[in-house]
Amino acid sequence: MATTDGDSATASQRLDKDTREKLVTVVRHTILLTWSFIVLFPLYWLASMSLKPPGQANSLPPDWIFLPTVYNYIQLFQDSGFVAAFANSLVMVSASVVLVLLIGVPAAYVLSRYDIPMERDVLVWILSSRMLPPIAVVLPFFIIFRELNLFDTRVGMVLMYVSINLSLVVWVMKAFFDGIPETLEEAARVDGATQFQGFRKVVLPAAKPGIFSVAIISFIFAWIELLFGLVLTSFEAVPVTLFVYSFIGSRSIEWGMLAAASTAMIVPVVIFLIAVNKYLAAGLSFGVVIKE
Amino acid sequence: MSTPTQTETTPQSTFARLRDLWNDYLPYWFMAPMVAVMVMITFFPGAYDLYLSLVAEPTLDVFAADFVGLRNFETAFTRGGAIHSFIITITVVVSALLLETVLGFVLAALVAGVGSDRAKSFYRVLFIIPMAVAPVSLATIGRIMLNSEIGIIPYVINTGTPFAAPSFLSDVPLLTVILLDAWNWTPFMFIIFYAGLSSVPKTLIEASRVDGAPMWRRYVHVIIPYMKPVVFVATLIRLIDLFRTFGVVYGLTGGGPGTATQLVSINIYEQMFINNQITVAAAIAIVYLVLVVALCNVIIAKVGFEGVWD
Repeated sequence: MATTDGDSATASQRLDKDTREKLVTVVRHTILLTWSFIVLFPLYWLASMSLKPPGQANSLPPDWIFLPTVYNYIQLFQDSGFVAAFANSLVMVSASVVLVLLIGVPAAYVLSRYDIPMERDVLVWILSSRMLPPIAVVLPFFIIFRELNLFDTRVGMVLMYVSINLSLVVWVMKAFFDGIPETLEEAARVDGATQFQGFRKVVLPAAKPGIFSVAIISFIFAWIELLFGLVLTSFEAVPVTLFVYSFIGSRSIEWGMLAAASTAMIVPVVIFLIAVNKYLAAGLSFGVVIKE
Repeated sequence: MSTPTQTETTPQSTFARLRDLWNDYLPYWFMAPMVAVMVMITFFPGAYDLYLSLVAEPTLDVFAADFVGLRNFETAFTRGGAIHSFIITITVVVSALLLETVLGFVLAALVAGVGSDRAKSFYRVLFIIPMAVAPVSLATIGRIMLNSEIGIIPYVINTGTPFAAPSFLSDVPLLTVILLDAWNWTPFMFIIFYAGLSSVPKTLIEASRVDGAPMWRRYVHVIIPYMKPVVFVATLIRLIDLFRTFGVVYGLTGGGPGTATQLVSINIYEQMFINNQITVAAAIAIVYLVLVVALCNVIIAKVGFEGVWD
């Protein structure tokens, strides 16, 4: 075999490989940019519709160039119903997040550190609360809430939001605590700290990123919830999702205001999501994936 | 020197005893509130649904109720449209889950292979954004963009292609629901798979690359087996949440046209609040509860949690 032949073969092979890699890169970015477009276009469309003056909002062919106006937003925020519902949601969802952390985080700590009998069953039981479809759960609560005067109250809604997120908090935080070495608290106990002090002053600070991300994920899940508001409120404790839905339900839809209300609901959540995007995967995958 | 009297020590030792009680039984105090809430949200609704499903009319005195056996179940499955709604739900759950899993994995693999770190984090942040969209807002987007008269998508199809656009909300409502859900929740699969792919040891990939295996074989024989726990958890969580689907369908089609998109959750809602058939609604809810919880438990038992925790 001639060496030159062999050399040229490898050279042409290498060239082949280079062009192939370039082609792969081009295809890769084409697909990714297509998906980016699919992700962004509906959001752009919603936002642009909310910024179009009435009359231009749903003209076809669409006015690609238009003078943005905040008319719809002014209308929306002058509507006392929207402001009240937005404030309601903010208060109820925030309170539920604080409460679910107070209940879920200590329990997750115990599940992570102690030998609980039938631990697996306990964890599956906790997860099963998420398996229960809310529609099947809401009927008993509808009736009991009427008896206990919790119907259409913020307290009642906070309790329901806690029920949505408790399993999430326990599972995610258990995974986080599992990842924190036990020697940390042992060292604190040697220094004379009680068990509780060890938890509060050593473990909790170490678990801060987890608590932060699970708080925001819980916030989002409660923020987007519609069904409980639909069934368990009527006037006083109406969440913002229900208010936005009422636009859809009305006979003649005010498209511009509907788009504005829907956009206003999305914006804070997008900011939260981008803020926690680093921890998001670890949180959502319940500890299977510890880090990137 | 007088020895401390009883009155002097008692308050202190009471406090100490309380503190000891707190510290000695810490795990119990820590678990108790969660267990209380869990009992409230799992056992109570199940038991109450069961009671409702067996009576003619709910009464304040549970034991005074007029029990009617399985009549409500019979009504639900003969005239309540329960069978239809179960079939619709399973169709949506299975198709959406498949679509989101495959799409999420492909996107994650494509992004993981991007050369530049800045492009990588750009795609990663961008792709999670649809998760921020509430079902109600998603329904709004669907109604605006797919509307036969004012929607941009039918307009583009009608003017830009030789095809006539279907009426998305009345001709292919189920497909529309599935596609909207995939838009909304593929990001969930994407972000978990992406993190999973990033956690595959580099040495493992290098070794298979040296062997000269083509890319698809690397995925089938090395990467996917390594990621099995990740894939399992992601699909299980998504499966559980898909059974909860309500808001987007309620806002988009309200279960219609007719009963074309009447998921079980929509059906129960209608029986309950529109037809005022609370007991029939409870019967459907019971069947749904049992099916969903049983299915999830079978999957967990079958696949096992080996490698998922501990």
